[in-house]
Amino acid sequence: MEQNKTSQELDRRNFIVRGGQRIAAFVLGLIGASLLPGQKQRALATSTPQTQPKRKVENPWEYDLESLKKIDPALITYEEIESIPAEQEKVTALALDDSGTLYIGGDKGVRVITDKTSKRWVQLPQAPACLAIDTNGDIFVGLKDMIVVYDKKGTKKTEFHSMGESSYLTSIAIGIDDVFVADAGNRVVWRMNKAGALLGQLGEKDERRHIPGLVIPSPYCDVALDQNGLLWVVNTGRHAFEQYKPDGTLVKRWEKTSVKIDGFSGCCNPTHMAILPDGAFVTAEKGLERIKIHETDGTFRTVVAAPSQFKEGTVGLDLAVNKQGRIFVLDPSQKTARVFEKK
Amino acid sequence: MLLKNKTILLTIFIIMNLASAAQLFGIERFPRPQFESDYQQPRMTSPDPRAATYEYIDIAALLAALSVTTFLILKKRSRRGVFVMMLLSIAYFGFWRKGCVCSVGSIQNVAYALANPDYAIPISVIVFFILPLVFSLFFGRTFCAGVCPLGAIQDVVILKPQRIPLWLNHMLRGIPFLYLGIAVLAAVTGSMFLICRFDPFIALYRMGGDWGMVSFGVALLLVGVFIARPYCRFLCPYGVLLGWLSKFSKYHASITPDECIQCKLCETSCPFEAIDVPVTEKPVESQTVARRRLAIILIVMPVFMLLGGWIGSHLNKPLSRLHPTVRLAEQVNNENAGRIYETTIYSRTFRASGETMEQLMAEVRQIEHKYKIGGWWLGMFLATAAGMALINLSRRRRQTIYETNHTHCLSCGRCFDYCPRHHALKGDLVQT
Amino acid sequence: MDKPNKNQPVSRRTFFGDTLRTLSALGLGSLVGFGARKATSEELVWQLDPDKCVQCGQCATECVLDPSAVKCVHAFDVCGYCKLCGGYFKPDAKSLDTAAENQLCPTGALIRKFVEDPYYEYTIDESLCIGCAKCVKGCGAFGNGSLHLQVRHDCCVNCNECSIAKACPSNAFQRVPASKPYLYRGVQRKDFYPEK
Repeated sequence: MEQNKTSQELDRRNFIVRGGQRIAAFVLGLIGASLLPGQKQRALATSTPQTQPKRKVENPWEYDLESLKKIDPALITYEEIESIPAEQEKVTALALDDSGTLYIGGDKGVRVITDKTSKRWVQLPQAPACLAIDTNGDIFVGLKDMIVVYDKKGTKKTEFHSMGESSYLTSIAIGIDDVFVADAGNRVVWRMNKAGALLGQLGEKDERRHIPGLVIPSPYCDVALDQNGLLWVVNTGRHAFEQYKPDGTLVKRWEKTSVKIDGFSGCCNPTHMAILPDGAFVTAEKGLERIKIHETDGTFRTVVAAPSQFKEGTVGLDLAVNKQGRIFVLDPSQKTARVFEKK
Repeated sequence: MLLKNKTILLTIFIIMNLASAAQLFGIERFPRPQFESDYQQPRMTSPDPRAATYEYIDIAALLAALSVTTFLILKKRSRRGVFVMMLLSIAYFGFWRKGCVCSVGSIQNVAYALANPDYAIPISVIVFFILPLVFSLFFGRTFCAGVCPLGAIQDVVILKPQRIPLWLNHMLRGIPFLYLGIAVLAAVTGSMFLICRFDPFIALYRMGGDWGMVSFGVALLLVGVFIARPYCRFLCPYGVLLGWLSKFSKYHASITPDECIQCKLCETSCPFEAIDVPVTEKPVESQTVARRRLAIILIVMPVFMLLGGWIGSHLNKPLSRLHPTVRLAEQVNNENAGRIYETTIYSRTFRASGETMEQLMAEVRQIEHKYKIGGWWLGMFLATAAGMALINLSRRRRQTIYETNHTHCLSCGRCFDYCPRHHALKGDLVQT
Repeated sequence: MDKPNKNQPVSRRTFFGDTLRTLSALGLGSLVGFGARKATSEELVWQLDPDKCVQCGQCATECVLDPSAVKCVHAFDVCGYCKLCGGYFKPDAKSLDTAAENQLCPTGALIRKFVEDPYYEYTIDESLCIGCAKCVKGCGAFGNGSLHLQVRHDCCVNCNECSIAKACPSNAFQRVPASKPYLYRGVQRKDFYPEK
């Protein structure tokens, strides 16, 4: 291993020196290895994550949505008072009936919650896409392309015919005689009677009647009836609210596109809507997960919940409002129905 | 086991086929708009990866390069031929293939495959790992001489090779053992491919990359002008394996084609200091003393190995920081404890994922356990290597001729030209 | 050092040498055998799972290539053809036109083309795309997630260990067989239709 002539002379001193060199190399190496990552090893103790705000280490290319999600706390005038577990793995729809009973649809069917002690299941073949409860307690369940009606005991009453291959039902509104069904796939709102007979359709582009037409880029299109029996349709692609007579005449409309708090952002928002007893709209958005209230004419009123109160990327914040004006928000990430009340 | 793996693979293929079939028929998640105009939706393009045939071309190229280089070294004794092979290697394995997969890096794939049953290792990787080793076992490190693109690029810049002090040489030669041990440990535990991460020349071959690695590569080449092949001698982990096998090689290149005439002309010819000189003087100490020392070393070896293993296993916590999950856990812990106020993309992603701290810590403990076991092996390996160095030192050398050191000789062929017998046999000596 | 010395008994040395050589050959052979059992004749390539991707932007910076081999691709089947595309426009865009100051893409690689009112087609100029995923994040947050990242195999040099994979915070990178080198959006995701 050695080339020098001196290396041939091996005595004790020589051996210790050269052997020491070899050993030292490995020892130094091991010490080096232990320092390899360069930083001090800190004790790893389990502790619960605190979500205190922290400064970020910036990545030059990261699209920072956080700054858009910041909302002035003064604008938030509602607070969460309750969180009702849905008791399902996947939750998809939420509805309230006139008596205040809560219905949560998910992969196990519909959970009917009257109060904490009185709960029952309505078994469904698949998770509902949307839910609505008639005044007599009938449960209208929207599957992908058809409506199925159950009575309040959970027995199947009627099954409407399929609305076709491209149908994608997203919302049901039940009037005195009519049932309005939003179909995001066909970009139309179907008007039916309670037996499932098709009476007409609303929202199609019609220049003669000054109807701009529904633009639905994603599977969200909510409908609700106001106190006057007129139908409000969310034209998500236009960030618009449109009011129709049952015959399909457009009464009035307003639209507000903005990432700011006074409008709706992204390609298609709000995804869900509910009408408060005073006629104002509760709206839920995706992208910036926020719940707000707009006046009937579209003016921004207040914030119910800020994006920071939801897990990033939560979609499908279905809404319902009870007679007292409490707002029920379905949170698919937490798998709960969250209840908000004015502070 | 064989059947099970095949089944898993088959299932993966079937699922993937199904997925692509679905793609073909255009299954839509949500119906897109019904266009009134005759708008034609564009098709997604899917550029193919390199065709599989290239894989076999690479294998053939490796085999051919090894065979030709070996032939040039052992039969033709042609340094010029080896030089041409190096240039070809730089061109093909370096600039054309852009370095991956290389034999040096393949250690990690093999180690990873041994430890992770789910990882199906491509045949080309196995061939790249094994072929140079087999050649080394029979013919010496001809792979290093003219096939390895990492070696070749360093070899062409050796302009003013300097001798480095013996003690430094010995210490530096320990580094590859450590590098090999830690790289295998990192690969086995699924932490990272350390050798690839710190490949100094890949950035040059790809003509772009991480600034730090480019400068490391350039620095090595600059150093390499004076200290021949610094990566090969003092870092390369594959060189450790090649060296072991080369030590027992049956037909290793020799300085002289027939007999050594002890002319000493070759003594300084090797820039890698891999020529052993003959033992001319009588040993200073008596054979009994030497034998006793050897015996003591052999007896102490197991203790030494256990000690190494014990130390290695206790380095598991710092070593486990090679694993990204351990670093993540540390970051999150420090954030939670308020020790640092800057979140990273990793900690933010972790928090957004919904995984609990307990799950993360369980993962960390599992990794640390792997490192504990791996640390035993690493420590024992290094202790054995150190012990072998001592044994080699204590062995009585009986060499009588100038001969290449089979472990460290890279078979580059530089010494051939220094040997008068070489020229005599070739007949290019002017007869006087 | 191990060469048989002519002054010494040759047989013992040769014997040791041969034994060690045979042992080494056996070792190598068993390694090959073990490897061959687990081997696949198919080459593996790197790909990222768009469903795991969190759009951190590091694909643009971590790739050994410049620009990155990761590009944005568009699953047209999933696209809403939105007028206000969350992947195309900056959130505070002054107007919904193709003016550069309104575009989110830092290199102008996302191209917007009018189809018919109110639909617009979005395509990617891959020669300009740097894989930063800004549009992917915008599309995923506000739209359908039709824009997504993929390793483009006409660019990728298939490193033994992908340096983006190592930097990926969500472990979205994996090795896939070279014959099925893409993991496109719009086919694997089952969570879209609630009943499935």
